[in-house]
Amino acid sequence: MKSNERGLISPYDFKKPSVKIGYSLMILMIIVMAVTMIYPFLNTFFSSLKTREEFFSFPPTFLPKQWLWHNYVAAWTDFDLPLATFLKNTIFIYLGNIAFSIIFIGLAAYALSHLRVPFKKWVTLYFLSTLLIPPATYIVPNFLNLQSLGLINTYWAFWLPSATNAFFLVLLKSFFDGIHKEILEAARIDGASELKSFLRIAVPLSTPILGTLLILSFSTTWNDFYWPNIVMQDKTMYPLATGIYRYVVYPQSVIPWSIRFAVLAMAMAPPVVFFITFQKFIVRGLTVSGVKG
Amino acid sequence: MEVQLNVQTNSTVRKRINWYLWGTLFVIPEIILFFVFLWVPIVKGIVYSFYNIDFVEGNVFVGFENYLNVFHDSLFWISIKNTFYYIILGIVLGFWIPPLIAISVSELKWFQGVARIVGYLPSAVPAIVLYGMWQWFFDAVGPINSFLSSLGLSKIDFFSPHMAMVSIVLMETWQNFGSATLIYIAAVVSIPKDIYEAAEIDGAGVWQRIRYITLPSIKTLMMLLLLLQLISTSQGFQAHLSMTNGGPNNATLTYLLWMNQTAFTNLDFGKASTMGSIMFFFLVLLSIIYNLFQRRSDAA
Repeated sequence: MKSNERGLISPYDFKKPSVKIGYSLMILMIIVMAVTMIYPFLNTFFSSLKTREEFFSFPPTFLPKQWLWHNYVAAWTDFDLPLATFLKNTIFIYLGNIAFSIIFIGLAAYALSHLRVPFKKWVTLYFLSTLLIPPATYIVPNFLNLQSLGLINTYWAFWLPSATNAFFLVLLKSFFDGIHKEILEAARIDGASELKSFLRIAVPLSTPILGTLLILSFSTTWNDFYWPNIVMQDKTMYPLATGIYRYVVYPQSVIPWSIRFAVLAMAMAPPVVFFITFQKFIVRGLTVSGVKG
Repeated sequence: MEVQLNVQTNSTVRKRINWYLWGTLFVIPEIILFFVFLWVPIVKGIVYSFYNIDFVEGNVFVGFENYLNVFHDSLFWISIKNTFYYIILGIVLGFWIPPLIAISVSELKWFQGVARIVGYLPSAVPAIVLYGMWQWFFDAVGPINSFLSSLGLSKIDFFSPHMAMVSIVLMETWQNFGSATLIYIAAVVSIPKDIYEAAEIDGAGVWQRIRYITLPSIKTLMMLLLLLQLISTSQGFQAHLSMTNGGPNNATLTYLLWMNQTAFTNLDFGKASTMGSIMFFFLVLLSIIYNLFQRRSDAA
């Protein structure tokens, strides 16, 4: 909002003392909010640089007396904690997920939006009605189903189901709906096949929505710790979040707190940095989706 | 164009196939994937609720035995009570903050962008990192309790049976309120300023403007977000699993946590499927009631 534009409160209102007090309280509230939001981040980061003794010292210190960067090295080397493998798995799962979801969901959304599909209404309903069924209710049969397909402890258990995201389908379809038929018609007259017009016209035109999908999918993959914990059975197959859940923050963890915090700080750095860099995309994703949980 | 005309005049089978060829080809893989990885599990969940699942000896049909088992389990009612407690706490502690902050932030003259980013930042924290951080913040010697005791106040035992659920809700509010706030800000900012201007000329004070203009304009959005919050909190279990694992004394055992423990700790998949199906039927019923309600209020 530009300063010359009025908001709810007009410049005239500020002459009243009650409004001034109210506005100051409001600003105070926002400052309190900002501090509450920022403090845990700083605390996590600074605690990760403390020695074991200082971590528990009373009264607690905010800044570490000595910046002990060694904690970060120790997290990678000193414990039986294959962080590099976990990280590699996460990236592997993510790349597969986006490949599968963009190819299959993209083709289906494009067809529903621009091509002739028999029983189109029913097909759309078949896809979209799954949005109404909460995933939590079929966790157990989903596991049994993957088991009977022999996909347990393989990455296919993530890649193939990642293409069954009706929410992404809606996002892509509504974006494709905005592409003018004339462009595709022109391509057809010029002799492009449907696959070619999808790859050469629809996909390049929808980079903004694809960017949003990449980000949403990244945060899901990076965050998810429970489902991989069930589907994967080898320590070498776990993604990062599951690795942390099983070997770092479990209740009787043997890893010292300051090193635990070093691991946590490293695990949250990518999404936080990612968010700050791509904030515009993410906020758009949030508003495109209207409201997603 | 020529192709279309041909088909309309002379609809042989071959033409019909060509007419639909690409659309069908593009949709079929997705139809198969949805079938195998969504619809089969959804239907199997209901089928399995009537079976005793045994990987070695095979599944045996047991009728309603699983359902009786679930209903007779004392944990059933405890977990349902906890889930409702969790949902209600989420509304009491968390629901009213985003609109309040959104209205305030949209009135900021400076640093509005910063306030939005800061508010949303916790949403970027991965769930498991969140739990790890807050385990320490809620610790008996953690920052919050040190702060309280340096003020001379008594310590709070965040993981006592009375406080555990409250602690979890506080933590989740910290993380989640940012995204809701952003949505509210978008709605509040889009209210035309002329309306405020007109109200002010008619003599409405600031509070009256909020009460009679801002709040009614975001009322629909608030209802929608309330509904979404109900749906998502009724399915909450991961925080409870990682923070307290349902304890102490089952005080944080939500329905879905119990279901997941039944399946993946006790390996009683039949009973767990039954619990999933009960939840499924309950939610379907809820959405039917909601729709009826909606239709009636539309008609009125």
